[in-house]
Amino acid sequence: MHRPTYANPPPAHSPPLHHPVPQHVSSVPHLRSPPPPQSQSQPQQHYGYPTGAAPAPSAGGAYIHPGFGGFMSDPTAQMGFQVGKSAVMAGQEYVEQNFNRYVNVSALKHYFNVSNSYVINKLFLVLFPWRHRPWSRQQRLSHNGQDGFFLPPREDVNSPDMYIPVMAFVTYILLSTLLAGLHGAFHPELLGSAATYAFLVVVFEILVIKLAIYLLGINSESQLLDLLAYSGYKFVGIIVTLTATEMLGGMGRSGFIGLAVFFYTYQANAFFLLRSLKYVLLPDHSPSQGGNVFLPDSAPNTGSNVPYTVSRTQRQNRSYFLFLYSYGVQLFFMWILSR
Amino acid sequence: MALFLPSFGFGNIFYASILLVNAIAVLSEDRFLARIGWGTSAAADPGFGGAPDTTSVKARLVNLIASVRTLMRIPLIFVNSLLILYLLILG
Repeated sequence: MHRPTYANPPPAHSPPLHHPVPQHVSSVPHLRSPPPPQSQSQPQQHYGYPTGAAPAPSAGGAYIHPGFGGFMSDPTAQMGFQVGKSAVMAGQEYVEQNFNRYVNVSALKHYFNVSNSYVINKLFLVLFPWRHRPWSRQQRLSHNGQDGFFLPPREDVNSPDMYIPVMAFVTYILLSTLLAGLHGAFHPELLGSAATYAFLVVVFEILVIKLAIYLLGINSESQLLDLLAYSGYKFVGIIVTLTATEMLGGMGRSGFIGLAVFFYTYQANAFFLLRSLKYVLLPDHSPSQGGNVFLPDSAPNTGSNVPYTVSRTQRQNRSYFLFLYSYGVQLFFMWILSR
Repeated sequence: MALFLPSFGFGNIFYASILLVNAIAVLSEDRFLARIGWGTSAAADPGFGGAPDTTSVKARLVNLIASVRTLMRIPLIFVNSLLILYLLILG
């Protein structure tokens, strides 16, 4: 910072005053507004909200510089400010409690617990899954010995997350609308219809999986968000297809390059789903069951109390369904979403 | 590039799903389903000594159809009448 040099030399003695002097005489005394203790301690006791930040700004708000503005130096206005702040915090707490009833926020947090290296590895895995060796999700037993929980995506690259699918979904919507605009066929309703289309595809896929889980009698404990995540991974491949088709191919999706890229991403996505959904749809492939996968009897259950003897034909059915889903259903959906 | 119809929305999906559920609901139990062996009593009791078979795909499908029919009969009446009024008025 260069200070401009003055023409006249500075005075020998230091000037008396250079800091700003308040020009007006404020008649209101420099009050510390009485922070009403009941309205401040209530948010801390009743709601249990993270009020670590709440006392600091309210205490700081109580100490208002008199030159702030005419209206805030009035103690009545400051008290009204306090009441407003506590009302806003109460409203936030109410909304959060009611929201937690519909959407399981803590479960969602597990799915967004990603790191940069996880995202890059997972994207590479979705686009090139053939060399990946262990596909099972890692578990960790909780301390009291009950059945454990899965590791978060940050520590386990096989764990499905919701960050990539959500991002890919939004990117797909924007990209398809952008491409429509590049071709001169844009109108703002395209955003909504693309969103609806993709959303309905995802919902339909999940319905197919849920129906198959019921019909095939799979005792699956997979969550809905897991299935949502696996449905969302194909948007990554679709984005790659759309981009490559637009930049490299001249004839759109029917051209040679478009078809080649689409076929590659479709194969990659199908293999990825085949390997990942094996642990969702065929839950008795876990290593704790031992290496003996084929049971000697192929008759259906005779109503015995053993809940989980899976017959050979049932296992075959499940494998058929897994294969059909990964390759057939995905082909259909990826094709219509790559338009 | 993107050939999304601007008029594609939840309405068409809604109509299609209502039609499908109607189609399942009008399947007659004794005239049709029992004839082709998809009746609820036939699939549930293979013999009079054995336990009902509930784990095969066919048994579950029969169960699903029967449950859809029993559950959705009454709401379908209301939804159908609403749809009929709506389509009559708005064309």
